[in-house]
Amino acid sequence: MIQNNSTEASADGIDLSTASLADPEILAHPNAFYAAMRKDDAVHYDKNLDMYLISRYEDLQTVLRDPITFSVKKGFAEQYAKGFLKEYKEILERDGGGFFVNAIMTDPPEHTRVRRLLDSAFTAHRVKTLQPEITNIAVDLVEKLLAKGEGEVFSEFAMPMTSRIICKQLGVDLPSATVQRWALALTQQISRMQSREDMLRAAKDVCDLQNFLLAEIKDRQNSPPREDMISDLVHARLDDADQPTLGLDELVTLGVALLVAGNETTATALTTMFYIFATRPDIAATLRASLDDDRVVTRFVEELLRFDPPVRGITRMTTKDVEVGGVALPKGAHLLLLYASANDDDSEFDSPREFDMNRPNIGRHVSFGAGIHRCVGAALARMELKVAVREVLSRMDNIQLAIPNDEITYLPTVATHTIARLPLTFTRRG
Amino acid sequence: MSIISVTFVQKDGSERLLAGIPATGTLMEAGRSVGVDGILADCGGACDCGTCHVYVPPEWTKRVGPPNDIETDTLDLMVQNFEPGRSRLSCQIRLSSELDGLRVTVATT
Repeated sequence: MIQNNSTEASADGIDLSTASLADPEILAHPNAFYAAMRKDDAVHYDKNLDMYLISRYEDLQTVLRDPITFSVKKGFAEQYAKGFLKEYKEILERDGGGFFVNAIMTDPPEHTRVRRLLDSAFTAHRVKTLQPEITNIAVDLVEKLLAKGEGEVFSEFAMPMTSRIICKQLGVDLPSATVQRWALALTQQISRMQSREDMLRAAKDVCDLQNFLLAEIKDRQNSPPREDMISDLVHARLDDADQPTLGLDELVTLGVALLVAGNETTATALTTMFYIFATRPDIAATLRASLDDDRVVTRFVEELLRFDPPVRGITRMTTKDVEVGGVALPKGAHLLLLYASANDDDSEFDSPREFDMNRPNIGRHVSFGAGIHRCVGAALARMELKVAVREVLSRMDNIQLAIPNDEITYLPTVATHTIARLPLTFTRRG
Repeated sequence: MSIISVTFVQKDGSERLLAGIPATGTLMEAGRSVGVDGILADCGGACDCGTCHVYVPPEWTKRVGPPNDIETDTLDLMVQNFEPGRSRLSCQIRLSSELDGLRVTVATT
């Protein structure tokens, strides 16, 4: 929960021998659980998840910086559709064009060739050229909300904004609700909280998504290059003599990743932004007074990302016996790196539960990860958030929760920390 | 294409001389390709993460040039020990024959 309390006090009342991150209450409001771990058991084995939870800033850095000892590929494979993989795979092979090998959740050297290609697509300089387009989309959505005076901002602002932007980049035309459904179906596969019924529903959505992308890819394979990212991927020439073009597994899973990763995560942050505006009018007022000051808006966005990171954590698996934070881990141990906990570690950030836009080390949060798997879309995410801050605060006033604070629910997933519904009221700024 | 040499001074004072390298790509790419300590380049040269931060000595600042606007924002936000006038992100420094003999100090990440 976003609140202005101290970390120390919040460690009270958590019994680590029984508490689990799989508990929906803890998933929704995890900070006290994280604080208890950092204090008493920094590399904590969660029996329900069968995972080691990594909670301290320093330990996250150690793991993130060593992709050979801590394999993303193995960690992802262990997590994916956990408990239902065989059936899920059969459904995708039968109805979804195949079960494609993920091209991002991999280790060096196979990760490197794909990563280099994507780096160039999302440079801060290229993202800057997208600002006018992103602004138009944000203005349109804010105006639609203002016309009603109320709205549920995850589905009526955040998801439409992120999905329109990424669809435009990819060169596809899809309703926001479809993108949202597909994104949730995908994220659910790493949520660790799904039932068989959930999996069956999600598998159908993932089949639809794959079939859609396969058609878009085929369309571009048979035509000259166009000005969109799917075309860029289809026609890309890599610095790799053995495999100079992307294979079908790579094309499909990169397309999926761009559509999903560029969506739900940023949409989550946009929703949290609204939550802060509604519950911390002091922060909204400070920002309103400085909307023309790029540095202030930039720092707000960074502190927002530190304070409540959209991604809860990414998994790793140890490839040998290794010690982390003084704890001996066996080869094959499954780890979950808790970004929010690292961002809340007072050995790195003073008074971490204070929302402080003037932190000297504000950019050192791990909300985008670190090392070779650091979020490739970080610059785009920041740009979307900065534009949203400006357009929302310059046009809206009296942003308030339309339901009691304690009725706000979060999606049941270990993958993200996402407000499920955020109904708000607001007025046009005079 | 001309061939140049550049030197990275590490925080412990040791030096990494990259002699006879082609003047192409960026200083970050040259440093990363041989594993210079502190040139992590997490974002791959997107000017977004601040993990390829170097200090340019006064005698080189004119030839290397100042950071661009986006780079200045990233330095301000992301790096520890940002020193205006000296700090650059090595991913934004394009190698050229002009920079033959360049020495930079790798900042602490």
